[in-house]
Amino acid sequence: MNCERYKNALLDAAAANAKIGAKLARHLEGCNRCRATLQAERELFSRIDRSLRARVNDRPQPAFLAQVRIQLSKEPSPHTGSSPMCSVTGAALALVLIAMIYPLINARQPKIQGDFQTPSIGASQSIGGTQPAYAVIEDPDVRSRKHFNRRFEAKSVIPVAPEVLVPPDEQKAFAQFVARVAGRDAMAEAVVSPAANKTAARNTDLPQVPSVDIADLQLDRAQRNEWTDEAGGSE
Amino acid sequence: MQEFTWPARSTETELALDLEKAALRREFEQRLEACGTLAFRVARGVLHNAADAEDIAQESLLRAYRRFARLRDPSRFRAWLVRISFRLALDHARSVRRREQRETVWAVNVPKPTAEDVAASNEFARRLHEAMASLPKKLRLVLLLANMDGHSLEEVAEVLQLPLGTVKSRLHSARKQLAEKLR
Repeated sequence: MNCERYKNALLDAAAANAKIGAKLARHLEGCNRCRATLQAERELFSRIDRSLRARVNDRPQPAFLAQVRIQLSKEPSPHTGSSPMCSVTGAALALVLIAMIYPLINARQPKIQGDFQTPSIGASQSIGGTQPAYAVIEDPDVRSRKHFNRRFEAKSVIPVAPEVLVPPDEQKAFAQFVARVAGRDAMAEAVVSPAANKTAARNTDLPQVPSVDIADLQLDRAQRNEWTDEAGGSE
Repeated sequence: MQEFTWPARSTETELALDLEKAALRREFEQRLEACGTLAFRVARGVLHNAADAEDIAQESLLRAYRRFARLRDPSRFRAWLVRISFRLALDHARSVRRREQRETVWAVNVPKPTAEDVAASNEFARRLHEAMASLPKKLRLVLLLANMDGHSLEEVAEVLQLPLGTVKSRLHSARKQLAEKLR
């Protein structure tokens, strides 16, 4: 029982090659078995040390360093700084990066910046439908940018071309208006130009546009009854 | 078509670069004298064969030379070289072990051991080599350096950039684990 208690201390003492403590020394005086174990452990450790030292302190062949020197003489000198090739490669990479990033940055800016020098005015043909018709005023420049920036259009909040919503009962009149205005660029410019420019536009000689006739709402009997019912129901 | 040529360096720049390279080479050769054997011994501690250890030491020294200009603190050269040789020796030992396993599995006639192998195949040395190979790397490196001539524990701590207490405890643990495997 006592031997088991001292076993670890005994192995530690042999491994560390240190002096034995007083308690362990007293135990060893009276225990032949532990004394033999300690002796065996010390022999094992000294054998390990001898083998390790013999191996680790082995010397290379005398020609070893001469061989290394020969190999070193075949090596190019260690690099001390950056070569011109590195600088040129770095500059080229930087240019390529800028060329790649610039269109991305440009595409994020608002797309409608063009002047409306030669706008073309078109109107939707679905006049008879129940949905509001709309006319799209397209600028050729805007169209070309639209093609260029097709990838980024989905993310853009600002529409590429302005839309004019027309109530169903005014669709016919609006279509007539558009038909008359078509081809008259100066008038179109006056219509679509910002408010500040309109003052100036008013001062110039605008082309005379004949009045636009808006016909009375033609309703048949059934529609009129329906209209009356709805008006009565809402009161 | 005109051929592109690099802008020529001035003679002063060329001269300064050449001088710098020559100084680096001289400095490395001085260190080679002092540390060449160290690289061999570290490799020998890991490898069974002295010839392999020489090859690995040579490779370590060449690698150190190629990157010598990048070494910021020249006083750390010894530690740097020890690490390079230890890592290369471990890689080599691993590849040798794999090759031996392949050959054991596939070879019809296992080659007979040479006279050198017979001499080296002392039972205890073989068992010690195996026990060393199974030690964790950090314990093994401390054990190797501590057993090298002229390496006090303080120097080992300095080379490995470890506290002295850590080196002592690692050495103690390595020795106990070795004895456990050899008992």
